[in-house]
Amino acid sequence: MSAPGWTRAFTDDGEVDVELLGGKGAGLVRMTRDGLRVPPGCVVVTTACHLYLDRGALPDGLVDELRDRLSAMEAATGRTFGTGPEPLLVSVRSGAPVSMPGMMDTVLNLGLSREAAIAIAERAGDTAFMADLVARFHAMYSEIVLGALDERDAVDAVVARIRPDDDPADAYERVWAAAEAALDEELAESVPAVPDEQLRHAVEAVFRSWNTRRARTYREHHGIPHDMGTAVVVQAMVFGNLDDSSGSGVVFTRNPVTGEPGLYGEYLAHSQGEDVVAGTRTPDPVARALPAPLLRELEGACAGLEARHGDVLDVEFTVERGVVWFLQVRSAKRTPEAAVRIAADLLRDGTASPSRALSLVTAEQLRAAARPGFDGDALDEARAAGRVVVTGIGACPGQVSGELVLDPDRAKDRADAGADVVLARAVTSPADLHGMIAARGIVTATGGSTSHAAVVARALGTACVVGAGELEIDAAARTVRVGERVLAEGDPVSLDGASGELVAGALPTTTPAAATEAMDALLTAATQASGAAVLARVTVPADVVAAREAGATGIVTAVDDVLAASGDLNHLVETLLEKGWDGGGSGTALDEVRQAVARQVSGLLAEAGGADVDVRAIDLLADESRELLQQTAVTTRHPELALPLGVPALVAAQRAGLALAAAESGYGGRMRLAVRHVSDPAEVRALAEADGAGPGMGTYLTSPRAVLNADALAAHSAVVWLEVRALQAAMFGIPARQFLTAAPLDSYVARGLLSTDPRHAIDPSVEPLLAGLAEVARAHPDVPVGVRLSGTVSDAVAAQLYALGFRRFAVDLPEVRPLLLGLGRAALAQ
Amino acid sequence: MTTTLAKPDYDVLNVLALKKMAGAPAIAAVVELSPDDVEERLASLAAGGLAVVAGGAALPTDEAEPRLAATAAEIYAGVRGDDDVLALVEQFEKTNAALLTTMSSWQQVDVGGRKVANDHTDAAYDGKVISRLERLVGRLDGLIAALARHDARFATYATRFATALAGIDDGDHDLVSSPTRDSIHTVWFEFHEDLLRTLGRERAE
Repeated sequence: MSAPGWTRAFTDDGEVDVELLGGKGAGLVRMTRDGLRVPPGCVVVTTACHLYLDRGALPDGLVDELRDRLSAMEAATGRTFGTGPEPLLVSVRSGAPVSMPGMMDTVLNLGLSREAAIAIAERAGDTAFMADLVARFHAMYSEIVLGALDERDAVDAVVARIRPDDDPADAYERVWAAAEAALDEELAESVPAVPDEQLRHAVEAVFRSWNTRRARTYREHHGIPHDMGTAVVVQAMVFGNLDDSSGSGVVFTRNPVTGEPGLYGEYLAHSQGEDVVAGTRTPDPVARALPAPLLRELEGACAGLEARHGDVLDVEFTVERGVVWFLQVRSAKRTPEAAVRIAADLLRDGTASPSRALSLVTAEQLRAAARPGFDGDALDEARAAGRVVVTGIGACPGQVSGELVLDPDRAKDRADAGADVVLARAVTSPADLHGMIAARGIVTATGGSTSHAAVVARALGTACVVGAGELEIDAAARTVRVGERVLAEGDPVSLDGASGELVAGALPTTTPAAATEAMDALLTAATQASGAAVLARVTVPADVVAAREAGATGIVTAVDDVLAASGDLNHLVETLLEKGWDGGGSGTALDEVRQAVARQVSGLLAEAGGADVDVRAIDLLADESRELLQQTAVTTRHPELALPLGVPALVAAQRAGLALAAAESGYGGRMRLAVRHVSDPAEVRALAEADGAGPGMGTYLTSPRAVLNADALAAHSAVVWLEVRALQAAMFGIPARQFLTAAPLDSYVARGLLSTDPRHAIDPSVEPLLAGLAEVARAHPDVPVGVRLSGTVSDAVAAQLYALGFRRFAVDLPEVRPLLLGLGRAALAQ
Repeated sequence: MTTTLAKPDYDVLNVLALKKMAGAPAIAAVVELSPDDVEERLASLAAGGLAVVAGGAALPTDEAEPRLAATAAEIYAGVRGDDDVLALVEQFEKTNAALLTTMSSWQQVDVGGRKVANDHTDAAYDGKVISRLERLVGRLDGLIAALARHDARFATYATRFATALAGIDDGDHDLVSSPTRDSIHTVWFEFHEDLLRTLGRERAE
């Protein structure tokens, strides 16, 4: 066929150009070329859309071309468009190069003229089947092409009265007339009865939908050009609802819940695809429901697809009179656990390259998969011991323990005091929000998985169980009763937001071994690619173990954090207020520092093996200390604490304490002590001249001045860290502590008053400073120069820092794995 | 002590009870009074033991709910007897269920029979959910208009929905269900609560 070029058949040769064919069209062409049996069809290319939108009419020749394409589809299927004995019906779908909201959706079953409808009833021997088809088509065309919204109870009533052996012509007239009446009443519009007109109008409607308000807004927001245009896919319909040898289904090439290999999916005989999606009938597992030859064909096709795409796919298919037709192939949605296992499996069996495998897991999925859950044995034990108090409906997954609290005010108070809280309510109202935000878990007696409580909990990401109907909350007695069992407010409980169980007592948590293994395999590949070192920020010995398990090559810690966690800090501050800095002998403040550091840090070092340990010296002015201390009293009495070397003896005491800790614990790695806020070469020289044995002295850069002086600082430092949050805060002139919380910056950024959200992205003003520091790192290969990042680290920030040349990072413990992944991806993308 | 509140005081305390903790500017934005006016009324509510004002924000006391209920019974007797409103409320129950289901499909997608957090990488899916939300919000027009015929303040809900939808169109997807912002769900949840109080009904879930 010598078509001039407004359309392309799926089977035509030529480049698969998404710009021209749109995403959906390109996908169908690829599937056809992959050798899958795809119902024949064609794509009206995007250039036709441009022309239509320019001049308000279809391009010359397009209608004739479509007619020719239909003839080819008729020849391929042995059916005819608009007439019997075997009518060809088509679907019309929009397909832009980038998918976007607001675009016209699908119109199915287009081509139902009176003759075609009668022929279908006769072929199927079922007038009711035809009546349903006609009503569905009319409703879909009305909604999608003409914008109708109303439910059509009257039409449904007419369809419901039609019997399989009714006269087809009469039935068609009745259904069509009822549908037309409904449409006329709603919109004063009409659906053309002539198939060629239906097709032309549907194509024009797709083109027009390119310019709906929502689509335009979306493009403007995402920087998608308005002149890109959309393609239209016209494809022969196949029917899964013809007889018992027909049906429809969806399969995943692997289990999307667990990631286990093997086809996973459902098939429903004698059904059209929508029935499976709508859930009106329960489908069967494919392995059981499909005849063996069809199952083998499907398995072969899926294996081939997976190998070609290097990913797990979701495949929609229809069986028409014993023949499998492939309708759509997409990347499968999956649970976080499945995402990790699938990526590791595909990497191991060579289906996916390292860069492909790493791209199959998002940082968010990795965080979710690494999140510790209840220890399996402990949970089984609790169940066996009858400690499950009640089982409701799991509304937001998550396994948490905490003290039971019965009202939102108290939940907030207890959480503010540092307690983990599980909030139990009979019902929740908007006024409960502060308590829901404070709680780690929420359980309600009423409501379903789509109640307000469930919606709010999911928006907050808080584990939630709803509809635990047996829960009787006695607000006056401050107890919860379930049958004979009574729990009092303050009792420890555990909540499983997936299974819906509320368990008496706290349960220990672990990361499942299988997940850890799969994550390790992926992160090893990532680390090999990036060559980067990621250190974890820790404060207690158990963190050190978790950090090493997560793949951290070392740890960073801060003396004030460690002493705050151990409870030594308050006493230290009291001693300081009482006795000042005088003397170094027993009972003095400095001696107390030395002893406490030796005692507490040795526990960390004992777990660290030979890994790097970088310790930050006490900074009593830091935001982290602000809440914990009688800070004002200390800093008012001792203003010298505001300067990095204001009290040299304090630094020396910490260094001596660390040396003791290393000796006590038998630590054999590299340890350094770094001082915050240093910005002058003279300060570093003074630090480097410290007497006696002990860790090497380094610097934590927090100011633009320090970064600009970094070359001179590095020359005399054993280690250099840059605190990105502090530097950004200094550049913005906003106190760094405001970067730790949602308020006040969330609403400030939402008002459009800051072009960069300094909590989530690196500001352009900071970039040159970072580039300069990366240069310093290259100039001093023997001095480790690293970047300390706070909170969650986006892939974009990881990639940016990697591209600048940084290879040493320190992050909060839960961010170690996501950052290793992000750096690996960044390295493989280069 | 009177058992019912004056009308503007009811409006202010009603919003305060819906939001639990709010400053005068936030309340003023919803009740269409000036912040100064709201400030004054909060002070008088506090004097009457119905609210506590501290550090620029106000909280309702335990006395607030019963007083609101008693006042609503009086000032909304007309609403409670309006068959048009009651018929529309009946419809609202269905729409409410559909909205909550749609909210859930915004937050979670079905993966092989298990619900998984929507990672919002499928723009086509998200687009469909947003279109559906817009249509469901549109179905409240009749009820809001019918309520506004009794008390004009109900019209502010239509404005708040429109503002949230415009923000979503601008790509601010938090405005779908974020509980800490004036999202579609927040406005809907407050409307639902307000409606129950207006009609003197109890929340079922």
